[in-house]
Amino acid sequence: MMAIRKWLVNLTFSEKSIAPLVVFRVLFGIMMMLSTLRFISKGWVEELYIQPTYFFTYLGFDWVKPFDVMGMYILFSVLIASCVFISLGFLYRISTVVFFICFTYIELIDKTNYLNHYYFISLVGFLLIFLPANKSFSLDTYFKFTSKKKYVPAWTLHIIMFQLAVVYVFAGIAKLNYHWLFEAQPLINWLKHQTDLPVIGPLMKFEFTAYLFSWGGALFDLTIPFLLLNSRFRIPGYLLVVLFHGLTAVMFPIGVFPYVMIISTLIFFPESFHEKIIRSLRILFKTKNKKEVSSTPIKEGNKKNIQASLIALYIVVQMFVPMRYLLYDGDLFWTEQGYRFSWRVMLIEKVGYAQFFVHDPTTDNKKLINNRTYLTPQQEKMMATQPDMILQFAHHLRDTFKDTIIIENNGQKIKISEPKITAEVYVSLFNKGSRLFIDSDVNLSKIHRGFHDKDWILKNEN
Amino acid sequence: MREKVIGFQLKQIAVLTAILFFSFSCRKRGCMDPNALNTDPNAEIADNSSCSYGEFDKPEMLSNVCDNYILPAYQEFNNKNIALHQEALSFSTNPSLEGLTAVKSSWVAALISWQKVSFLDFGPADYYTLKNQVNIYPIDTNTIQNNISFGTYDLNLASNNDAKGYQALDFLLHLPGTNEENLVDYFNNNTNATSYLLDLTENLMLLSQNVYDEWVNVYCSNFKSNNNSNAQGSPISNVVNGLCSYYETYIRKGKFGLPLGVFNSFTQEEMPHLVECYYYGQSLPFAKAAIEGMSDFINGVHFDTPENRLGLDDYMDFVGATHGSNTLSTAINNQLETIITKIDALNDPLSNEILTNKPSVEDAYTELQKLVPYLKVDMTSALGVLITYQDNDGD
Repeated sequence: MMAIRKWLVNLTFSEKSIAPLVVFRVLFGIMMMLSTLRFISKGWVEELYIQPTYFFTYLGFDWVKPFDVMGMYILFSVLIASCVFISLGFLYRISTVVFFICFTYIELIDKTNYLNHYYFISLVGFLLIFLPANKSFSLDTYFKFTSKKKYVPAWTLHIIMFQLAVVYVFAGIAKLNYHWLFEAQPLINWLKHQTDLPVIGPLMKFEFTAYLFSWGGALFDLTIPFLLLNSRFRIPGYLLVVLFHGLTAVMFPIGVFPYVMIISTLIFFPESFHEKIIRSLRILFKTKNKKEVSSTPIKEGNKKNIQASLIALYIVVQMFVPMRYLLYDGDLFWTEQGYRFSWRVMLIEKVGYAQFFVHDPTTDNKKLINNRTYLTPQQEKMMATQPDMILQFAHHLRDTFKDTIIIENNGQKIKISEPKITAEVYVSLFNKGSRLFIDSDVNLSKIHRGFHDKDWILKNEN
Repeated sequence: MREKVIGFQLKQIAVLTAILFFSFSCRKRGCMDPNALNTDPNAEIADNSSCSYGEFDKPEMLSNVCDNYILPAYQEFNNKNIALHQEALSFSTNPSLEGLTAVKSSWVAALISWQKVSFLDFGPADYYTLKNQVNIYPIDTNTIQNNISFGTYDLNLASNNDAKGYQALDFLLHLPGTNEENLVDYFNNNTNATSYLLDLTENLMLLSQNVYDEWVNVYCSNFKSNNNSNAQGSPISNVVNGLCSYYETYIRKGKFGLPLGVFNSFTQEEMPHLVECYYYGQSLPFAKAAIEGMSDFINGVHFDTPENRLGLDDYMDFVGATHGSNTLSTAINNQLETIITKIDALNDPLSNEILTNKPSVEDAYTELQKLVPYLKVDMTSALGVLITYQDNDGD
């Protein structure tokens, strides 16, 4: 018991070199700057935040709204500035808060754009606010805004490692399902389209390859944090990281995620490695490392207790959120209840097609909705397979048609007070045939949004 | 997790039972797809989900559909439009009853040839906005009549898209309130109308020439050699996206749904004047030609002969896509056949049939509608056409 306690205290409060944290700060800032520039250069600011007329907000965050063109570009400019400042360690505390708020705000505008690695970046942005990553090799120390430190409490490093481990391990756990392991789904289908890859292409036609990739991927995810933690396996482990993410970058359109992981996992390397990087950077920028002030260890036991409890709380939340799907009945991949924020990456092949009907309850006449009137192609595609978004869109239609008078082509006037909304949705999961996804008769306008079980989703009988 | 483990065992038991059951049944089930590796010559009942396939030769499939369907189909499209313009030319020099009949029949042939390429809505066709320029309906008869009476117009303007193309010709060649003799007189006495007729056929000829040339000279080689995986921008993704959206909007909706009133707001009142070739009074042969063209194209059938080589159907089989107990390609082919049967059960004029025999037209529409998820959901998914507009992490 005492030994465990000692181990935990050591893990949290022992003194560690600040170097890995500093290198992480510098690289993270640069990476985020580049990825934001890439995002802007692809025209996605207009495409995702200006062109849509409707946005799928997150439950509880309906107040998050995009700004106009000017406002969005200002927001992205502030985001880029904060990335640069983080990298330089300039006005670090303010910059990290600004980064976290801007980035998370942008992500909260529309859940259509949800990606696991955006969530990861939001979490790391949040953690950085509390980490003393500017206490060395930074403009803050150069201008003496803050004191220099050579050592930091161990938790500041370990919390980042923990976050990375969470990504991998939960991604690994998510792969431990029948489809992934025993049908090699969805890779068995995806890989067959990759027979034209250089060198490894010819292997893709074999079903064996899909099984190899499935099992290998699961094993990689489940073990890689531990390999990286172990000094004996660190180098081969990191080579695996580069290989694995490099391969996924070539094969799938997953953007910057592979690079984010390849760079971030450097934090597992020993202090000496990071100190060497800083020394080379100092030579490059011709700055001198003036006298280091050694840190004054935190003495007040009370403060330590509070810190430890908050860290524990963060850890518990991170462990609970990906497992919350167990609270729901039904096939997770079909219903997607508790699917997001759980590090489920490249797990399912799912395509849908949704037709919405607005009914006039007095005559039971119904109008077929053209989704494209309200949604962008990307929004329509994402909505068609995700029940919470189907419901949101139905509510949007309800609000659009509520208390309206429609003048028909033949001049007839139709007065609608409380429209009934139904949807006919077909979804195919893992290429096993499209089938009806939700109850086509249920009046979606009367269903409440929320975390309760969506019993109007039909069973997946494939 | 526990549920899934049990599911696994149940599945094995089911498979074992199935094997036992079928080994005792007298009619032999097996793979009957001639393109499969394990085609069973003794099989009597097609169980194509048991087929296994070797390496799929994607470049070979692209070559096949390009050389043996797309190019000859566009060539035919171009030739029929040249022929149409020739007939219009000789009619214009000396308007006669025989001349009019010849123009009409070459107009029908050209419109049929359009149906066979209409769904290839990507690449050159997209670049020249072909579908908006050759077969938009309903047409704007006022603009047509104004263009004729003023005698000055620019057919290349998008504002004239609904005053040109096959449907404008439909109007001119079947002018309401005239019989054939009247019509010949009309063209005899109205040089503006005759030159408008000529400009329309010339416009069609030039457009078809442009698109065909573009395919032959530039696009075909890119199409065959572009070996990207199937995400956005690859030939397969272009083909599938063009095919799906054209079918959904211009065949299912345009040819049947709109005139039937399915899209007519709340009352869903029939709009029979929206049928294709309203003035000609024959719509069904064109709809049928489009569906048959799609069927040949999906199956990798040659344009001129019934020879069937690698097509999208074989690609779907290769990845093992299924629908219910069928392979997806079988399901799609069955549905296409059902659609043809339902169209065959209808009578022209479709505008009249919609009013007098609505249930049968609704029947046909229902079957047309059923094909949409097969194509948009199952086929895109099977062919790995990740319709990605942004980064994606596969969820």
